[in-house]
Amino acid sequence: MTTPDLSVTVGGLELANPVLAASGTFGYGLDLDDLCPPERLGGVVTKGLSPKPKAGAPMPRIAETACGMLNAIGLENVGVDAFCRDTLPTLVERGVTVIVNVFGASPAEYRAVIQRCETAGGIAGYELNVSCPNVSSGGMEFGHDPALLEELTRLCRDATRRPLWVKLSPNAPDLVATARAAVAGGADALSLINTIRGMAIDPYRRRPELARTFGGLSGPAVLPIALRMVHEVHRALPAVPLVGLGGIETGLDAVRFMLAGASAVQVGTATFRRPDTMLRIIDELAAYCRKTNTDRAASLTGALEEIS
Amino acid sequence: MGRRNVTARLAARRDLTEDSFSLRLRLEGAFDRPIPGQFVMIRPAGGSQPFWRRAFSVAGFETDGAGGWLDLMVKIVGPATQAWHELPLHTPVEVLGPLGAGYPVDQAHGRLALIAGGIGLPPLVYAIPGLARRGVRWDLYLGAATASRLVGLEECSRLADTSGGRIIIATDDGSAGERGLIPVVLERRIDAGELYDSLWSCGPMAMLRAVAEVARRRHIEAQLALEERMACGLGVCLGCVVPAAGGGHLRVCREGPVIDASRIDWSRM
Repeated sequence: MTTPDLSVTVGGLELANPVLAASGTFGYGLDLDDLCPPERLGGVVTKGLSPKPKAGAPMPRIAETACGMLNAIGLENVGVDAFCRDTLPTLVERGVTVIVNVFGASPAEYRAVIQRCETAGGIAGYELNVSCPNVSSGGMEFGHDPALLEELTRLCRDATRRPLWVKLSPNAPDLVATARAAVAGGADALSLINTIRGMAIDPYRRRPELARTFGGLSGPAVLPIALRMVHEVHRALPAVPLVGLGGIETGLDAVRFMLAGASAVQVGTATFRRPDTMLRIIDELAAYCRKTNTDRAASLTGALEEIS
Repeated sequence: MGRRNVTARLAARRDLTEDSFSLRLRLEGAFDRPIPGQFVMIRPAGGSQPFWRRAFSVAGFETDGAGGWLDLMVKIVGPATQAWHELPLHTPVEVLGPLGAGYPVDQAHGRLALIAGGIGLPPLVYAIPGLARRGVRWDLYLGAATASRLVGLEECSRLADTSGGRIIIATDDGSAGERGLIPVVLERRIDAGELYDSLWSCGPMAMLRAVAEVARRRHIEAQLALEERMACGLGVCLGCVVPAAGGGHLRVCREGPVIDASRIDWSRM
């Protein structure tokens, strides 16, 4: 058969292929250029950006676990100004599809990041990181409270006409309720899942492995959970475009997420283990499509067949 | 930048002490010559363990017509390093490198103190031939808890013979060389009139901190090779940072592993 068509559309945003770099694992887009050129990906989700630079969490910040890792980086980033000034122009010139991951300590900070990016131009869309405590309302994470999330999403919606994605937290008490809230607030698509809260302990030192005690678990350890969550949200909201992530390491993993309902996928921790993983996933996805006579990768989305 | 992800084969392994050994990897095809102090991230190819690759400082590099030979030194500290001791010869190994910033060999001049503790010898041993070619004189301070844990003494003696360096040994228990911690021995010698243009060190963080303190007190530049837990080794996971003087962080894997001691905010370490 001929070369399969890998292009997909996620809530109005067209991507050359469904494989995106997940936030926090690919720098600002050019950091791994020599090993994984960003223009070969469906898109790049930037490291989470806040209005001002942020120093992040104390060390140690990461721990290795069975089939995965924990991180508590604390959202260290250069700030939206430095990104728009130093990196974005090159990404735009190179034709990279850039999704800016946005976070803040208050709704106003989220809005400020988007407004700054809107003046820069060339950005394909935004992804809201809502696994972040809302300092202005007592520290509850935006992504854990549907009412708070809907209000935040609406405020950001009003700041841009570009595609707006909300990255859902798997730690929320009611995942589907938060999904509905983000859509009600005007999200074009939902990405899921962010990391799952976990902990590791050094038994000899009798201390947590991370300075912050708790961190976010990622890697293949979380894949079955992520897959279940994507499918749950897809069943509840079949018309809402989803971007699936959580432990994807191979083309077949990407196919699994698409069958469960995702229109595209993100790859994160696997890039740490092997920096060209996403290029291999794109090749493996094409090989899967050829082997199964699938003309268009987009047709995989939600094509799961139930066991009768 | 010259970073590559290649497949090599485990070509040789040799025990150095009861808990350390050397590895020689055969690289097929192109691989940039590492600068002393640069490192590689390695793991057995195809397997799922360990989850992260492990970072090792380059201890030697040679090329022939068909590829390269990469030498590493490993101290057994846990299951991942133990696995390298058991791994069958000829096993394929994924090698990512060379990574990070090395020692400023091109600017080295005069007389250097090279200070190695624990498994800190590799980058310094690897730097010596280049220093000798530049006419830089060197004293190698080699420290360990006890005589049986001194790594690489034989090779250092050979280098001292061929390139005119001196070796100063210190052990915590006095079982070889001078008794005491290596930074203390270093400062004692500086007090006695030894003059150094720069201190290059690699070893445990407590030793590096002490070397930085000697450098500060004596107004000598110090270049330290740091070690931190790393997930990627490429500058994107932000797991290996140290506090920078003047605010912010330095990534051990990108701005380092060799960092000028004055660029680190030791009060926040």
